[in-house]
Amino acid sequence: MSSNPDRSGLSASELALQLREFLAEHHPGRTPRSTSPLAAAERLVFQKAWQATLAEHGWAAPGWPRRWGGMGLPLRLQAVHHRELAVARTPVAPSRIGGIVGPALLGYGTAPQLERFMGPLIRADELWCQGFSEPDAGSDLASLRTRAVPDGSDYRLTGRKVWTSGAHFADWMLCLARTGPAGSGAAGITALVVDMHAPGVTARPLRDMTGGAHFAEVELDDVVVPATDRIGAENTGWAVARATLGHERSTSLASSGMRYRRVTGDLLELARRRGRTVDAYDRDALARAVTGARLLEWSGQRVLARVLEGGEPGPLASVIRLQHALFEQGLHELATDLLGAQGALAPADEHLTAGGKHDGAWLRGFLRTRASTIGAGTAEIQRNTIADRVLGLAEVWR
Amino acid sequence: MSAVSEVDERSPMFVFTDEQDALRATVRRFLAERSPETEVRRLMETETGYDPAVWNLMAGQIGLQGLALPEKFGGSGFGFVDLQIVLEEMGRALLCAPFLSSVVLAANAVLRSGDEAACAQYLPGIAAGSTVAALAVTEAAGSWRAADLTMGATAADGGYVLSGEKLFVPDGHVADLLFVVARTAVGPSLFAVDPATAGVLREPLATLDATRKQSRLVFDGARARLIGEEGGAAQPLSDTLDLAAAGLAAEQAGGARRVLEMAVEYAKVREQFGRPIGSFQAIKHKCADMLLAVESATSAAYAVGWAVDEGSDEVGVLASLAKAFCSEAYTHCTAENIQIHGGIGFTWEHPAHLYFKRAKSTEILFGNPRHHRALLADRLGI
Ligand SMILES: Cc1cc2nc3c(=O)[nH]c(=O)nc-3n(C[C@H](O)[C@H](O)[C@H](O)COP(=O)(O)OP(=O)(O)OC[C@H]3O[C@@H](n4cnc5c(N)ncnc54)[C@H](O)[C@@H]3O)c2cc1C
Repeated sequence: MSSNPDRSGLSASELALQLREFLAEHHPGRTPRSTSPLAAAERLVFQKAWQATLAEHGWAAPGWPRRWGGMGLPLRLQAVHHRELAVARTPVAPSRIGGIVGPALLGYGTAPQLERFMGPLIRADELWCQGFSEPDAGSDLASLRTRAVPDGSDYRLTGRKVWTSGAHFADWMLCLARTGPAGSGAAGITALVVDMHAPGVTARPLRDMTGGAHFAEVELDDVVVPATDRIGAENTGWAVARATLGHERSTSLASSGMRYRRVTGDLLELARRRGRTVDAYDRDALARAVTGARLLEWSGQRVLARVLEGGEPGPLASVIRLQHALFEQGLHELATDLLGAQGALAPADEHLTAGGKHDGAWLRGFLRTRASTIGAGTAEIQRNTIADRVLGLAEVWR
Repeated sequence: MSAVSEVDERSPMFVFTDEQDALRATVRRFLAERSPETEVRRLMETETGYDPAVWNLMAGQIGLQGLALPEKFGGSGFGFVDLQIVLEEMGRALLCAPFLSSVVLAANAVLRSGDEAACAQYLPGIAAGSTVAALAVTEAAGSWRAADLTMGATAADGGYVLSGEKLFVPDGHVADLLFVVARTAVGPSLFAVDPATAGVLREPLATLDATRKQSRLVFDGARARLIGEEGGAAQPLSDTLDLAAAGLAAEQAGGARRVLEMAVEYAKVREQFGRPIGSFQAIKHKCADMLLAVESATSAAYAVGWAVDEGSDEVGVLASLAKAFCSEAYTHCTAENIQIHGGIGFTWEHPAHLYFKRAKSTEILFGNPRHHRALLADRLGI
């Protein structure tokens, strides 16, 4: 599998240079927007093609072992990779969840599982979704009720998942299911790989407030899952899910700061184009946005530095996650404000234009970022985590 | 006797009469029946954005369109606070109808023009609901101030013709009658235009808030009738916008109260970690803060309403204050409501986003909070 060139010995500037050369030739341009399930499918095709290009040239999965199709880069170079792609505004990976599934497989997968899944995952030949949340188990994930009952060499899986991003396009789901008795909490949960095309699996697209259908409801009706598709031992699913919060995150955190410096640059450009840089109030708000982006970037670099020295990402990583969610939301609120009367138009309206540029993306972002403080663990849960785990305050909320 | 006079001396402000309570109950019942969420969702997908049958029932059954218009022009002569009660209920129900446009904006623009003949001609139709009117003020720049308007009107054989573009006009694409602020050599003036007349092009805009439509109107030599004095529209327009801001503030307070109720109801029944989420301090505090915002917004909205009814010279100050405050309170509450609902609050099927979008659009309508705070500072002489 590993015909990938070995770039792990390059210096940071050599890697950056090579990557820039590659991007100069292969950058596919702007990702199409997705406001409907149809458009989302188009967007996926585009993102998949880009991921395939990256993989084909040995530029995909910087942190994953070369043996499984990754680049095997040391953390310091992974960060360079993330930064260069962020600066070049390449499309994001189609199955963002790859960043979660990969570490779970790498940490707990058997050799045959890695052999089977890693290549298509890295090339985006197969798309994945993350089936954790259920209608009654969101923040309190450990209370999930989807059941997996052993049946010979299989499990029989029954339950319902909800808000599962990309489930209606996915080939596989990393699914958490209860194998222990009801009420066994985190100790009775198992991680399974579910074939989304298997009998008994139904993914119904669910519209969200942006008007698009990026997530879905998944019905699991007596689905047969071979025991060989279990990740890790039975009842250790919680640890598998946790593994998704590894070092990998720190390097992408560092790059998200970079990405937001760029997006803040776009915001300044929007303000200039719309003549909104004169008023003291606007100037103050814009200066705050710049401050927020820089803080994220620097904090990301501090986390990265710590990890590069062999340490744990530590409390700062939790801080950044919350900061990031709040910043992203605030940035888009400000952008909407800068749009003036046009801020009341739908993102697609043709009149949302100034200086020859259409500004609908800001309004779409304004709607989308309501999920920033919900989707990846709510802001309240993140604050609880910081208070309990980082500051050591009493856990009164369980 | 002295006890009675003490009671009598109390300010009538913030005390609703039995009639007002009854009016509120009637409107709430009507909207629960005629504007449930299913209807809101159906109508917001249509281009016209309202149901003429419901509109006619509003006028015929409870006389809402004419409620606060003078009796001599076909109305019932109720006060502005009564109208605010209606608007507050409409805000709760997210009613899809050109009520604000026709009854609050357009009707007041004519009334304030002081043009008795125009009032006699146009207001009875508005009061009866048989005429839907709209007021076109904003242009591409999005300003509501007469001084910023550039669209021109020129005198031509006994009348006037209009040329130019109006944008963000609430319900302009469905109105039977357009009132347009345009500039003649003398200054900003108010005109009535029949939308069926030659040289008028109308198109709906795609709006963030699909429950309240906006439109683009293009005039290309369209014949228009002058209302009031030529060049004299600036002050009446400003007065009309104060009333509209006061009305909208009540609508915002109503919407904010509804989403607070939604959030609290949900926080009581949604369980995570074996407890209702409303038992977590983070959620408790959010709800408590929302109540502060809602009660303050209600106070602000009705303070300006009572000032209008008393003919107070503070109306302008209070209107700006209320519009700025209620806008932000409403937006805040709708965002918190989504947050408290978690994943379901981000889902289209849930009504939380409808209120969030209404809040954003009304925050911008008639000038955003910053515009109104600047106006407030001016009016206070700061
Ligand atoms: C856009 C989007 C994409 C998503 N994608 C996925 C996906 O791909 N896979 C997946 O598995 N899930 C996904 N989710 C689901 C997401 O993980 C959950 O929505 C999230 O964990 C919150 O759970 P919930 O929606 O059930 O809210 P709840 O847990 O019911 O929370 C409701 C409210 O209560 C608060 N609350 C709950 N517990 C506490 C507490 N202890 N202290 C204080 N406040 C508390 C919350 O902060 C929130 O405000 C997605 C969600 C969104 C919005």
